[in-house]
Formats: sequence, structure tokens, C-alpha cells
Amino acid sequence: MKRILIIDDAATVRLYHRNILEAAGYAVEEAVNGIEALEKVMQTPFDLYVVDINMPKLDGYGFLKEMRRQDIDQAPAIMVSTEAEADDRQRAYRAGANLYLIKPVKPAELLIHVHLLLGEVRA
Amino acid sequence: MPIIKQHIAQVVDTDERERPRDLAGLVAELELDNPTARRWAARDLAEFQASSEVLIARLKREDDGSVRDAILTTLTRLGDTAAVAGLVECLRSEDAALRSEVIEAMKQLPEEVAPIMSGLLADADSDVRIFAVNILESLRHPQVEAWLAGVIEHDPHVNVCATAVDLLGEVGTPLSRPALELLKARFPDEPYICFAVDLALKRIGED
Repeated sequence: MKRILIIDDAATVRLYHRNILEAAGYAVEEAVNGIEALEKVMQTPFDLYVVDINMPKLDGYGFLKEMRRQDIDQAPAIMVSTEAEADDRQRAYRAGANLYLIKPVKPAELLIHVHLLLGEVRA
Repeated sequence: MPIIKQHIAQVVDTDERERPRDLAGLVAELELDNPTARRWAARDLAEFQASSEVLIARLKREDDGSVRDAILTTLTRLGDTAAVAGLVECLRSEDAALRSEVIEAMKQLPEEVAPIMSGLLADADSDVRIFAVNILESLRHPQVEAWLAGVIEHDPHVNVCATAVDLLGEVGTPLSRPALELLKARFPDEPYICFAVDLALKRIGED
């Protein structure tokens, strides 16, 4: 079973994404900020990351930069944000995101991108 | 061993306050290359009410995390109009880490932030409105529920409402039920809003 880490400081957002991903057959874990996420990743890497931007202690950009820079994990990462500016997207990709989605993310939209990034073909 | 002792001695030296501890001296020290000196200056400026604007100016270009922490601590201690206005300016920064730090600092200033909260929640920039809701998360103030209910009743931006409904699920009372029902009716095609409203209503019902 593929493992996905959801990193978001909003409990409702984590639960919403968890429900969608678990219903699709993924094993999901959660972190409330970039520091907690790095600690989890250093123990066991995940197959995919769903990352918020604005979080206390270490934001989503910081988390991805550190994870990529230290080569802890190069697995695909989806950055989800309320910020729709082109600059925000560029910053996310520079930090190491593979995809940038605008909140609120619809279930089908999230799943199709997760399947694609994990190289899964589903009917 | 001598090498270690020498190293410790150097650290102590750089940690000392080297200039006069008056306002002009501290402001000058805030611009030194040495982050330890800047950190001390930021801490000691808490004794000077007129220092908020200088601290805000430094905060916007400060790279060192520990100096930023010291500046924010001092600004929350000062808590004057200039400090709060400067923190609000920083909410518009492109630096996500700075924004997060400023949000945490503003949470510590309930009495000072309360008078400007209505303005922040009505800001033209939806990102600033989201950050204002984030500040409400642990702003201990009796108006928090009413502010959040107002946001989900009237704000046109789905993500501002989404952020507010998350928080209302934690701090809301049955008084917020009508606002939550209205939000669901305003965004019937947004699965996240419907999910968050149902969750909030359930939590409120359990209390």
C-alpha cells in the first residue's frame, strides 16, 4: 500500500485530504508543520507528500527545500495553497514541488494527480 | 583543551553588549554584521517605546532566525500602535516564513490587535483576510466567535471562509449554527466547505 504524508496545520484540511486518500486505498499519515514532517520523513520516507504552504515553525517551502537539499527523499510532492499568484507557483516549484494545486481541492482533482504522480493507471 | 577554552572565550566576547545601551547606540547595533550583537540590541530595545518602527524596518530584511525571534518578542512587549501597524505590513510580505512568525506574534497581542481586527477581516487582499483568521486561532478575545461568524456569512472568497469555518469548528457554540448553515448554502458545490461545515456542526452539537 502506497504511503502518503499530509502536512498542514489545519486539522480539518488534514482530515478532508485523509478521507479522500484513504477511501482510494492509500495509507495516510499527518504532520502539523514542516519540522514534524521532516522528523517523520527521516524515520521512513513516503511515496508522496501533500504539503500546505503557510504553517508555523517551518512552512511548506522550507520543508521541501530541506528534504530535497539534504536528499532525504525525492518522492513527488503536491503543494496545496490558497495563493494563486504565478510567483507562488514558481517558488513552490523551485522549492521542489512537482505540482501546485489551489485550495480548496476537489476530491477527483486530488486523486487524479496523486495517481499520475505515483505512476498509477486507474480506470 | 586550550583550543576549546579559546573558542569559549571568543563566544563570550561576541555575546557582550559592546556599545552604549541608549536608543541611538542600540539602533546602530541593530545594523551590525554580528547577529549576536543584533539579537542583544533587539532585546534591549524593549526598554524604548520609540523603537518599534526601527525594529519593523530591520525585521523586513533580517535573515537570521534568532534575531527575528528577538525582534518579534520585543515588538510584542512594546505592543504600541507602530508595532501593530508594522506587523500588519509584514502580513503582506512575500516571505512565507516571516508571515507565519508575524501571525504567531500578533496572537500574543489580543488587546492591541482587537481594535484593528475588523479592518483586517475586511482587507481588499484575501490573503490578508486569511492571515487575520489565522491570528484569531489563539487570540483570546470574547469577540472571536462573532468575528468568525461574520466572515463565513459575508466573505466572498471561498478560502477565507474555509479558514474561518475550520476555526469555528473548534471555538464555535450553537450561536454559530445559522452562519454555518448559510455558508453551506452559499457554496453548495464546494466539497471542502460542505465537509468542514458538517464537521463543525457535529462538533458544536457534541459540546
